[in-house]
Amino acid sequence: MENTLPARRLERGFSQQALADELGVSRQTIISLEKGRYDPSLPLAFKLAEVFGCRIEDLFQPDAK
Amino acid sequence: MNTKTVAQSKWGRSRFGGGSAALIITSLLVGLVLSAGGGLLFARLNFPENFVMAALVMMAGLLPVLSVACWALLLDRDTLRGATKNPEISVESQWYDKAAVGVFQDLLLVCGLGGAVFSFLQFQASIGLVLAGVVMVAMVDFAVRYWLIKRAEG
Repeated sequence: MENTLPARRLERGFSQQALADELGVSRQTIISLEKGRYDPSLPLAFKLAEVFGCRIEDLFQPDAK
Repeated sequence: MNTKTVAQSKWGRSRFGGGSAALIITSLLVGLVLSAGGGLLFARLNFPENFVMAALVMMAGLLPVLSVACWALLLDRDTLRGATKNPEISVESQWYDKAAVGVFQDLLLVCGLGGAVFSFLQFQASIGLVLAGVVMVAMVDFAVRYWLIKRAEG
């Protein structure tokens, strides 16, 4: 899945650790999400959308075929 | 932004209060008492002729395991350095699940094939030894699988 997490995170001035603390997850989780190696569970996707004040589909898009 | 209000340390603190030192000392003492009991019982049942040596060897084996188990039971995980609030939605949880599924499949294969082969060979072994071997295989398999998944997806 493609995502806009790195851009949105930097826009908000969050470090990876700060975002991880906000979500209550490990920093490695943020790294893997941003690299597109980890597709988040629904609870985590909802938390991310809440933090960035947007919809889940604004953050994550299916891979272009 | 959330701020951490709980002080975290390398060994954490007990859920019943006290500092890291109290938690470690309590864990060691409980581990010592339990391992002494286990060692004495083992020696009495199995090696009455070498009672002291058997008890000491069994105690030495049980002490670290039981002390760590006690530490894990008493620990307030929020006070452990690096503990996250939602570990179940962290990527490590997914790595754990993947490794555990792989280990389960490996154990089915190893135990199934092993059972078939050894039933033909009429090989006899102690149940305790076989179960210890299965646990060892599972632990090593899990460690290798987790490391490989972490390297590939981390």
